[in-house]
Amino acid sequence: MEMKRDVPDTSHTVLMGGERPVPAGMLSFILSVTGHTTTLILRRQRLIFAFIICLMPVVIPLVISASSDLQFGEDGMKMFMQLTKRVHIEVLAPLLALFLATMLVGEDVETQTIHYMLTRPIPRTAWVVGRFIGYMLIAAIILSLSLVLTFFACVTLPNFAIGMETLTELARFEFIGFLALLAYGATTMMLGTISKRPIIYGIVFLYGWQRAASLVPGMVDFLTIVKYTTALIPAEATATQAVKTQEALLAFQKQVYLIGAGKAVVMLLLITAGLLGITIAAVRIREYSGSRAIG
Amino acid sequence: MTADSNVIIEAHELSKWFGEVVAVNNLHVQIKRGVTGLLGPNGAGKSTFIKLCLGLLRPSRGHIHVLGSSPRHNPAVLREMGYCPELDHFFDNMTGYEFVYALNRYWGMTKQDAEKFTEKACELVSMTDRMDDPIEEYSKGMRQRIKIAQALATNPDLLFLDEPMSGLDPQGREEMYTLIRRLGDAGYGVVVSSHILYEVERVTDNVVLLYNGTVLAHGRVKEIRDLIDEHPHTIKINTPEPRALAKAFVGDTAVMQLDFLPGGLVVRTKDPNACYQILNDVMLERRHPIHGVQCSDDNLQSVFEYLVG
Repeated sequence: MEMKRDVPDTSHTVLMGGERPVPAGMLSFILSVTGHTTTLILRRQRLIFAFIICLMPVVIPLVISASSDLQFGEDGMKMFMQLTKRVHIEVLAPLLALFLATMLVGEDVETQTIHYMLTRPIPRTAWVVGRFIGYMLIAAIILSLSLVLTFFACVTLPNFAIGMETLTELARFEFIGFLALLAYGATTMMLGTISKRPIIYGIVFLYGWQRAASLVPGMVDFLTIVKYTTALIPAEATATQAVKTQEALLAFQKQVYLIGAGKAVVMLLLITAGLLGITIAAVRIREYSGSRAIG
Repeated sequence: MTADSNVIIEAHELSKWFGEVVAVNNLHVQIKRGVTGLLGPNGAGKSTFIKLCLGLLRPSRGHIHVLGSSPRHNPAVLREMGYCPELDHFFDNMTGYEFVYALNRYWGMTKQDAEKFTEKACELVSMTDRMDDPIEEYSKGMRQRIKIAQALATNPDLLFLDEPMSGLDPQGREEMYTLIRRLGDAGYGVVVSSHILYEVERVTDNVVLLYNGTVLAHGRVKEIRDLIDEHPHTIKINTPEPRALAKAFVGDTAVMQLDFLPGGLVVRTKDPNACYQILNDVMLERRHPIHGVQCSDDNLQSVFEYLVG
């Protein structure tokens, strides 16, 4: 039952200069949150730590090139693809998501700054989406920079020439990295919103469950993100690991169900959208009283 | 529901419980425009009631209308409200200006409006000189003012100030009293929560008395004051010279009893205003060092017990 209300008395606005601000639309809300989120992330010390870790793969080809290129004759292109698959896509993308996306919502709940935002007329969807875009901007720049530097570091190795073909490979890996950041970011952000120990659950899922599921027979690995990112990677980059996995399992035979690149892209986008939807629903439904959410 | 346009908050059979803890219990209240004090001891349900008004919490039972509508997920109502929380929580590594500006953008203001209203709000709370300094460097009083600035910056119809005097020094309190009275005089609806009657009394004579999540009394402060006058008010003063300071109180008719503590003096009085005036004089003349003043709400507690029966 709604009460009837007269036109609000705005005579008090004279204290603030007699004017009232005009609220903007949904896009403006999202852009505001994105801007604020990038500012917050850029001012955090953990960003420097994440950045340093992401630059580490660049050193590997340089060290190999300087110390043993003639002896071992490492193939530059192969090295780039394997480094990108094993380090950038499978380790750094989840790590960046853990570092930057886990507390996108959770931190505001913990520090109770969420009260400032939720008492403003901002749609909660805009708040969650804006936060996520802010994370994506920073994480994508860091991962992309690391990939480009690794690419150029691999030029120092034999059999690697910068040309249209290799640049296309670089673009392909940049795209896969971007999709991985989307899916991993949505996962960790959701964990940070609905659970009290998101880092632990994040580590268990990203580095425990994904590894375990890839070894278990059957189609369990379809419940991982790495299944779809791997499907986008060229066979040259995945061949070595397949052998090692089999060796580790003492010739244990696992039937590998393949998935096409197109379906993998769609799946990664669906995972991102689905998990963001859960996060938005959780933020809408939950009540925020103290430093913990209720409901 | 009433159609009285002066009623800005209306709660009917409002209850909120968290598990087995009942924070607000079958509360009925109508709050009209102007400054209203929400008075009650810690745990009375003041902050929960404010959060229900702000739509941060969903009523477990009953309903609440703010400015004519249910506040939860209601942008039209949220646009008309400002909130200053009790505790100091800020975004990391920000200046006061950046803090207010960011929240103005969250409100949906354009960049130009956000800048303009941030500057105006900082000016209104006398923070213009310090607004570009990091919040980490602010005193408690400045933090409190910048929190009020963010609540005011959207030029709302209704302000919720949760324990705004908490932790402030005497000068900071005076400034806060002045600001709140000014807001009330300007026509803002202001709800101020506190557990100290004296604080509420300084800003309004309209008070809602909460205890155990229910409204014990709603009306003029004088009526509550009359009850309180039957119970002495206790003021604890931290000073290294308690005996010397006591001389300033001896002989004043307002003082009922003086007790000495290690490093302090306890004054029991039925007229706290007179005692605070003595304290102000002592401080202004710098006669004796005073490190802190605490006013106990023991007397208020005894009034609550009396009202509960």
